[in-house]
Amino acid sequence: MSGSIEHPGPAGARAVSVSFSDQLVAVLPRLRRFARGLTGSAVEADDLVQAACERALSRAHQFQAGTRFDSWMFRIVQTVWIDQLRARETRRTEGEEEALGAGTDEPIRRVEARLALREVQSAITALPAEQRLALLLVTVEGLSYREAAEVAGVPVGTIMSRLARARMALVAKLGGDALRGSTEDVKAE
Amino acid sequence: MLKPNDEILIAYLDGELGERETLEVMSALARDGDLRAHADRLNASARLIRAAYDDVLRDVVPARLIAAARGERGLTTLQRALARLARWRAALGERPWWIGVPVVASLLGLMIGGGLGYLAGTEQNASLAAQQDLLAVNAGADWLDNVAGYHKLLIKAGSNDRALMDVPADTSGDTLHKAGQLPPNLRLPNLKPWSLQFQGARFLVIDGQPATQLFYTTDNKNLGALTFVEAVSTKPDLAPTFDRRDGLNVLYWRHHGHAYALVGTADIGYLWNIYNDIAWQLDAI
Repeated sequence: MSGSIEHPGPAGARAVSVSFSDQLVAVLPRLRRFARGLTGSAVEADDLVQAACERALSRAHQFQAGTRFDSWMFRIVQTVWIDQLRARETRRTEGEEEALGAGTDEPIRRVEARLALREVQSAITALPAEQRLALLLVTVEGLSYREAAEVAGVPVGTIMSRLARARMALVAKLGGDALRGSTEDVKAE
Repeated sequence: MLKPNDEILIAYLDGELGERETLEVMSALARDGDLRAHADRLNASARLIRAAYDDVLRDVVPARLIAAARGERGLTTLQRALARLARWRAALGERPWWIGVPVVASLLGLMIGGGLGYLAGTEQNASLAAQQDLLAVNAGADWLDNVAGYHKLLIKAGSNDRALMDVPADTSGDTLHKAGQLPPNLRLPNLKPWSLQFQGARFLVIDGQPATQLFYTTDNKNLGALTFVEAVSTKPDLAPTFDRRDGLNVLYWRHHGHAYALVGTADIGYLWNIYNDIAWQLDAI
């Protein structure tokens, strides 16, 4: 247990250390990105991160000093997400997606590139939940297979196979030509 | 290795293979043009996948998330400062405009540095008591936002999911106490006479103080799901007061170092009656 964390539990006064909160604030952008990938919705992602922060603060005493704080938080986010999935069908907020480029003078090429990225997001959101989790942890967040396996609570081999299925599904869905064109546009940005 | 399968190829691209397997994949790539093209597509897709969420990292993190990470929720710092400015302007009334300058300066100090230290610097311009009162008003507003926000979060996340509860209601409240699952100083009102079934408790931190959110549901659609929040408070006692937050009815009061709130969509009449019941029970508990 981290020595910098004072958190005696629900029955006592909850004095959460500044350093713990600071770590939490620092990792928020990545938690939002991870949650966005899991939920496919900006609003739901922020709600998920908020719930995860709440849970992390209430269980700060469980964090093991010397381990990766980001991995610990990813695990909490995915746990809360699974709880929510069990409780309800994920609702996509209709009309949430902004009208890309509408009413602006943004170059068409760049708008197309952004649309392509939205297409990638949609394709990722359409993946089975366990494949999406593996993909986001490894490919987006850069965790090693072993670290991702610890976060997901599955063997490394399972992460490997889920990741491969996810990557192949995306390649098939996005298509070879589209992949080449889109990456060139992204690089041009 | 004749030709690596997709799992091995992707693991190679991710740098996850050992030395021997890496050499085997490199060898296969060197002699197989189709495999190289396949690897290129996989690399391209990985770049796209990463790029798809880059915008999120550049977004401004919402204040509510920063507040949640710090164990509080409610208004943003800027909103709080502007609210204080508006109230102080009203408090200063007809005084010359320049009196407000140090006040604004102190607000900027607050926004930059945070904390309550600014109180000392502004004492000559506005009474300390008035400022403390303003802070208390704002803190009260935060607290209400919090209890309403936690109610909505619970409802949205799935109100019947036992996994959401720190202490699911599988036994009576008394048994939960004996099992050490609930804080020993928590008083658990019985709302069964209102057809409200206790579903569980969640432990929260609201405005830096420990709080417990008790969740009740009912088949009575006029009443709806209800949360009862019991929190530690250092503020003076307060008579039951009605307010609206984010489309929810909130009846709140403070008594002997505790702050309480009933939150839900129930009509105010229901809330008042339930409050009377709870107040009677808490005195009796």
